[in-house]
Amino acid sequence: MGFFDEPFDLMTPPEGRVEGVAKVTGSGKYAAEYKVNGLCHAVLVGSTIAAGTILNINTSNAKQVAGVLGVITHLEKPVVPGMADEEKIKEARFGLPVFHTDKVYFKGQPIALVIAETLEDATYAASLVSAEYREDAKTVDFNGTLGFVSLTPAGKDRGDITALNSAAHSIEAEYNIKAEVHNPMEMHATIAEWTADDKLKLFDKNQGVNNVQRTFAKLFNIPVNHIEVISEFVGGGFGSGLRVWPHALACIMAAKLVKRPVKLMLTRPQMFYSVGYRPASWQKIKLGANADGKFIGIHHQAKNGTSVYENFNEGITRVTRLIYNFDNLKAEAATVPLNLSTPTWMRGPGDCTGDFAIESAIDELSYKLNIDPVALRMKNLALEKNPETGLPWSTNYINECIEKGAQMISWKDRKAAHSQNIEGDWNIGYGMAVGAWNAGRGNASAGIQMQKDGSITVQTAMTDIGTGTGISMQNIAHETTGISKSKIKIELGNSNLPPAPSQGGSNGLSSIGGAVVAAVNALKLKLAEHAALQNEAYKNVAAADILLSDKGISLKTANSQFFISYASLWEKNKLGILEVEASSGPGAERQKYAFCSSAAHFCKVRVNRKTGKVKIERLVTVSDGGKIISEKAAANQMSGAAVGGIGMALMEEQATDERLGTLVGNDFAGYHFPVNADAPIIEVAFINKPDPNINPQGSKGLGEVGIIGTAAAIANAIYNATGKRLRDLPITPDKVLLG
Amino acid sequence: MRPFLFSKSSAINQALAKKNGTTQYIAGGTNLVDLMKKHIAEPESLVDITSALPAKIEVTAKGIQIGAMVRNTPLANDAIILAKYPLIAKAVLAGASPQIRNMASTGGNLLQRTRCPYFYDVTTPCNKRKAGSGCSAIPGENRMSAIVGYSDQCIAVHPSDLCVALAALDASVKVQDKSGKTQSIAFTDFHRLPGTTPERDNNLPANALIHSIEINENAFAKNCAYVKVRDRDSYAFALVSVAAALNLKDNQIVEARLASGGVAHKPWRWLEAEQYLKGKTANAATFEAAADIAIKDLRAQSHNGFKIPMLKGAIETALQQCLNR
Ligand SMILES: Cc1cc2nc3c(=O)[nH]c(=O)nc-3n(C[C@H](O)[C@H](O)[C@H](O)COP(=O)(O)OP(=O)(O)OC[C@H]3O[C@@H](n4cnc5c(N)ncnc54)[C@H](O)[C@@H]3O)c2cc1C
Ligand code: SF4
Repeated sequence: MGFFDEPFDLMTPPEGRVEGVAKVTGSGKYAAEYKVNGLCHAVLVGSTIAAGTILNINTSNAKQVAGVLGVITHLEKPVVPGMADEEKIKEARFGLPVFHTDKVYFKGQPIALVIAETLEDATYAASLVSAEYREDAKTVDFNGTLGFVSLTPAGKDRGDITALNSAAHSIEAEYNIKAEVHNPMEMHATIAEWTADDKLKLFDKNQGVNNVQRTFAKLFNIPVNHIEVISEFVGGGFGSGLRVWPHALACIMAAKLVKRPVKLMLTRPQMFYSVGYRPASWQKIKLGANADGKFIGIHHQAKNGTSVYENFNEGITRVTRLIYNFDNLKAEAATVPLNLSTPTWMRGPGDCTGDFAIESAIDELSYKLNIDPVALRMKNLALEKNPETGLPWSTNYINECIEKGAQMISWKDRKAAHSQNIEGDWNIGYGMAVGAWNAGRGNASAGIQMQKDGSITVQTAMTDIGTGTGISMQNIAHETTGISKSKIKIELGNSNLPPAPSQGGSNGLSSIGGAVVAAVNALKLKLAEHAALQNEAYKNVAAADILLSDKGISLKTANSQFFISYASLWEKNKLGILEVEASSGPGAERQKYAFCSSAAHFCKVRVNRKTGKVKIERLVTVSDGGKIISEKAAANQMSGAAVGGIGMALMEEQATDERLGTLVGNDFAGYHFPVNADAPIIEVAFINKPDPNINPQGSKGLGEVGIIGTAAAIANAIYNATGKRLRDLPITPDKVLLG
Repeated sequence: MRPFLFSKSSAINQALAKKNGTTQYIAGGTNLVDLMKKHIAEPESLVDITSALPAKIEVTAKGIQIGAMVRNTPLANDAIILAKYPLIAKAVLAGASPQIRNMASTGGNLLQRTRCPYFYDVTTPCNKRKAGSGCSAIPGENRMSAIVGYSDQCIAVHPSDLCVALAALDASVKVQDKSGKTQSIAFTDFHRLPGTTPERDNNLPANALIHSIEINENAFAKNCAYVKVRDRDSYAFALVSVAAALNLKDNQIVEARLASGGVAHKPWRWLEAEQYLKGKTANAATFEAAADIAIKDLRAQSHNGFKIPMLKGAIETALQQCLNR
């Protein structure tokens, strides 16, 4: 029987996503898919040089194309108030002052925008825009330029790094990682409509509607609540939607110019230079240990690429302060300006870059010391408290992650020396690495609307970028109210709903979970208030003593005679839709405890000696993310992140051409991320112990730790298989062959 | 994309009659549409040939004939191909993705253009795209480029997998021109080396159509292999690929075929190595010696020195795989 022949009830999907049916059947709308009356289309024209000044733009050919409604350039445009002059541009901190400058900072920088009735007309007309430039010197070569910038301290020193000089054992090595591009499946898109002179409606792809709202309120000098941002379905982000990018502003300017709703969707090639990327990086690590393997200290130096018009520091050395105990630390960092667009956070930002170097160095040390890499880590883990702040961990089960992972992959089958496990042309090896992430929490709000039939709708402005926010909100609401899941609807991704932080840094669930609990408590109290008119027992009860069900309200402490059905409550009090809203956020617990999520990654690889090809045979990821609210969604996060880690380790690389000042290639035929054939079924497990302090539901967040350490586990396995210590990512077959 | 006129032909003569310098044929469109979107191809009119050309695989007196419109997926699943010319199926399945193979035609596969990244970026010099503008790959990113048969004008490689197998099997290309005349071009003569005219990929006469591919019966069905080394394991073009086929009697090699993709401007035959293999015992030492012969005169670019040892390994692996049945 084929997949589509199986009986499938649209109304009751199996365990999965609240939005699953809408996504699978196509009824769920992504930003570019909304039907809007009078919609027209805009297409960006990019610069053909990497650095210089625009002398002249020829738009007349484009304007002659039938259907063209207007063209925007820095010379003819509706001025954005927040970019009216140099001073304002600086203040706005928007990054690229798109169409408000004649300067070109990178190739592909938007220099014009063509608006037409159809996408085809706009696309064709855009190809007819040409420009003359005065070219300046440029560079896009990270490794060639990094020598020209000097390092500065990245945080406070710990102890004295000269202690490393007397270490019994030490490792000193350099690590290079090529730039990677997020490339979520859904391309970034905006539909902008000015519904009044000072009122704006946006359908937009992003990871935080309130952030979009604030950004444009400032730029256009209009009240925040005059801007409505709708991002109900987001086809992945990986960090690319945490900022507001020039194309969205361009679309809004276009709508202003033509006085019609305008849609602008980036093309896949444009996705490579318009919405950030993980910058190229260089690191140098010096790691010292005493004779029995106790770490003495780490000297961590890091540089990452940035643009010439903005400074983006990845925070590569942050993770070095998080996982292990040692007395001496020096961390230094620098950014390297290049004629490329500005990079941004990409899954596990900074930490997964820094962690690759640290975890590779520790692996190298383990061979030098002849100690099992698992044992070496166990010996040095900071399990009691955050080594930087000295605050005790609220919970930290990284050791349990390691133990469980070792068992799952059967670590005992690993040969202690490299190149000892050979089958024909293939060398087999095992590797492991750990990762951790500061577990955060932001202020978030949620609302609940209740109907007479006891059904509720839980609402927040937070987006669900595929992480399972919706299903997790439903699970939390179900657990705290007792109302059946089928009676709990979720609405999110809309700025008219209660505000919430952007979805990034693994903070989404940690933040919104508390808000849902707070809203449930508010609902209980509100219902009790009404119930008190029928029964004195409900007067001044605490939320914790109130029980809800599908049918009505009752009290924990009392017997069933206090039960009041929703129907009678609604009738007696003449209620319509009952609405509550509540906020929740971090508090004093942040002064008492430190919080982290963590993961251990174990990998078994086969490496072909003849062709250099690496096959990942098994990849095990065990994580401590506190309580797991929705196991399926959480496992999906972890395996997705692990596949991202395979990409980082083995193939993702945005090449550049220094002579031409250009990215080389900007499509999926040339930019490789892993496909099914490159990834085994990722074996995911959770420690699943609630953190009692971080938030009411005890979950710590997972999105990042799934990728922090994956690349090192793979590289370490390649070493175990072949004896080749490969410190530059991605490890493509050529590097294995020549390594 | 530049606006264009579109028409569909239902017969080969009709399609040929419509062809001139500003017209282009479209089959599956998996390459041409991308080229049009990127302004590399800017035809004034397109003629859809999907109903104009044979879409069948037929047994002939000498072997088989594969119609130019046979799509890659049915080609790889065809019972005759699998039984008698399995090298073809192996090569096709090593290419592209299932969706692309569903669309891609046999004729189009021969005529797909290089994947050199500069060729696809109209803001950069490229002799193949614009004669005389210069080659960006020679001083630039040339990890994927040629290691044999290139010129100082172009170092691009032909991206096809199917063509490597067709070259190995000494296929021929049946073409028909405007006057109705048909001719047969030996497969190894069909694609060109860049020389001083890299803008020309092949020897298909102007305004002609590929009608079909012919392959003679051969004794390679039992012992053949296709090895493709690539950065990811599916849906990626070859760093290097090897089609190997052996006609074995007991363990002696009666005849051998060895061809590669990802190394030259056309599918490349390793004739000297084939000659060496003839009459030898099929074993690892023989294979290694043959691989050493193949790589002995290769000259890599600034960023693809790895291709030479990789090719050696891939040749040995492919020959070894010919023995595993
Ligand atoms: C992302 C991607 C990955 C790919 N990976 C691989 C790979 O790994 N290996 C591989 O081998 N291929 C690969 N391909 C290429 C694919 O196989 C070719 O694009 C396809 O075979 C072309 O066939 P088509 O029918 O779509 O050609 P079209 O795009 O329709 O045409 C291509 C050219 O051939 C001409 N043409 C077509 N048929 C005829 C005919 N009968 N006579 C005369 N002219 C004709 C057209 O005018 C046009 O110039 C990939 C393609 C893509 C897009
Ligand atoms: S190698 Fe050929 S296709 Fe590539 S840039 Fe040079 S001339 Fe163009």
